[in-house]
Order: sequence, then structure tokens, then C-alpha cells
Amino acid sequence: MAIGGYVCDLEVGDRIGPVEYTMSAFVVREYSHANELHHDFLQGIDDPLAPPTLIHLDKLRLYRHGCPKGTGPSARIHYEYDATVHGEVRVGDKLRVSGAVTERYERRGREYVVMEMELRRASDDALLIVYRDTSILAYAQKSEKK
Amino acid sequence: MSGASIVDLKIGAELRSAPRPMTRERMRRYVDAQPTVAIDDGRIHTQPPTIHDDDAYAKKQGLPGIIADGMVSTNWIQGLLFDVFGRALARKGRLRTKYIAPIYEDQIVICVAKVTAKARNEAGETAYQFDVWCEDNTGKKLTVGEALVYAPAA
Repeated sequence: MAIGGYVCDLEVGDRIGPVEYTMSAFVVREYSHANELHHDFLQGIDDPLAPPTLIHLDKLRLYRHGCPKGTGPSARIHYEYDATVHGEVRVGDKLRVSGAVTERYERRGREYVVMEMELRRASDDALLIVYRDTSILAYAQKSEKK
Repeated sequence: MSGASIVDLKIGAELRSAPRPMTRERMRRYVDAQPTVAIDDGRIHTQPPTIHDDDAYAKKQGLPGIIADGMVSTNWIQGLLFDVFGRALARKGRLRTKYIAPIYEDQIVICVAKVTAKARNEAGETAYQFDVWCEDNTGKKLTVGEALVYAPAA
């Protein structure tokens, strides 16, 4: 178990969360604006939806919750995003996100970590998004590090 | 752009975005979005140097300079699909992207989604399977993946 330390120390089997929060219009607007998603159902109506890609920032939310010491000595590189959407995430929804480290492996001198997450609506436990994230713990290969 | 819901694409059809340079400002906007979303207090926040907005820090990490966060290209692909399918994409479906090459400052990015299969389901929706990718202006692929989108019945 590596919960409570650095992200780079996470091990297979580590579980983070659940963490609860409420989706705000400000978050949807700022994230959508930052990504040039100028669609009316995100920014132009009173009852906007969250773009499914916001689930990626829930990974960072879980890291902050489970790894309060921070990233570790090297910057992570995101390698793969894989989200399956089962329901809309609406502004005002109270949400519950949890995750688990399911793989950690080395390939060509770089370490990869896979986190699998679920986002549920807190009021009825409806499954909204299942997300599988793969990150590289450091860009430099082990043989290049001094 | 409004949420179109009636879509009829043939297998092999390609959706292509306009070319966009991955400017430093575009990279930084995603960097700033992270603490801004996390704190969620109605103000814009910044964070310590990252490989996406600080050349010296990126070089220290073994990179030649800043690179875009992969989620920018994922979001641009999502935006291309939003343009056609609207909010249906936020209700049901799948998007998978893999970052196979770094995207450097001012590199041109074009998003593409190509229909590989389509089928009508019992609910009357048309399920479209896409190969998706981002390429630069030489045709080099930078991000690859797939998408499953359900177009509601007309």
C-alpha cells in the first residue's frame, strides 16, 4: 500500500476514494473554454452538461486525495485516455469518484501506471463514466537518468 | 454550435477539423484549467512549472522543450465529434486516445474521425464506430484511438 505518499509510489491494488464533489457551471465553462469546446450544451444554456473528458481531472482529484506528498521526482506523461460514458454529468450533480491502480509495468525503460476509475451520481449511485488512464511516471528512460 | 441529432454518415466517411497550431497559449490554458477546476472558487489559478508551460523545466525532464498535454488533443477530437453529434456524445459512448508522439510548440494539429462501422440498435440509435487521430501538416500521426458514438433516432 502506497496511499498517503507520492503518486510515483502507487502500487497495484491501491484504492483511492471515494471522493465526493458537486459539478459546477464554473468548472464546466472553464474546462470547456480551455479546450475550445464552444458548444451550447456546455457553455450556452442554463442547465449545461460536463464534457466527459473532465473525468481526467478526477484522476488528479484522486491523486491529491490519496497522494498528498505530490507527484514525486519526475513529471508524469499521460499516455492513454479511455472513457466509456454511461450517463450525462449535469451541472449541480453531486458526484462520487473512486479509483484503483490495476497495473504497473515497465516497457523500454519507462514505468507505466494504469488507474481504473468510476464516476457515479451520489444521489442514486448511477454509473456515469468508467475511465481507464495510463500514465508514464517519467519521460526519461531509466538508462538516461543520472 | 448546437447539438445536431440526425446524422447519416457512410462507412469510410471522414470528419476533419481545421488545422490548428498548438501554441504556447493553448498549452498553458490547459495547465491553468487544472488548478482552476480543482479549487473551483470562480477565479483562475495557476500552478508550479510543468512540462507544458516551462521550457527549462521540460528540458530538465529530458524533453527538448514544452509539449502539449495529451488531453488537449483528446478534447479537440471530442470537439470534432460534438460538432456532428452534439450532446449525444456526453450521454453514451466511448472515446479512447493514445499519445504516440509528443506535440511541440506551434506544431499543426488536424483532428480526424473516420467511420469504420455503423449499426442500428433496438432503441433506434445508430452506433457509429470511428478510428480517430490527430496528425500534423505532414500527415504524421500524433494521437490515435477510437470512438463509439450513438446518434439518436431522427
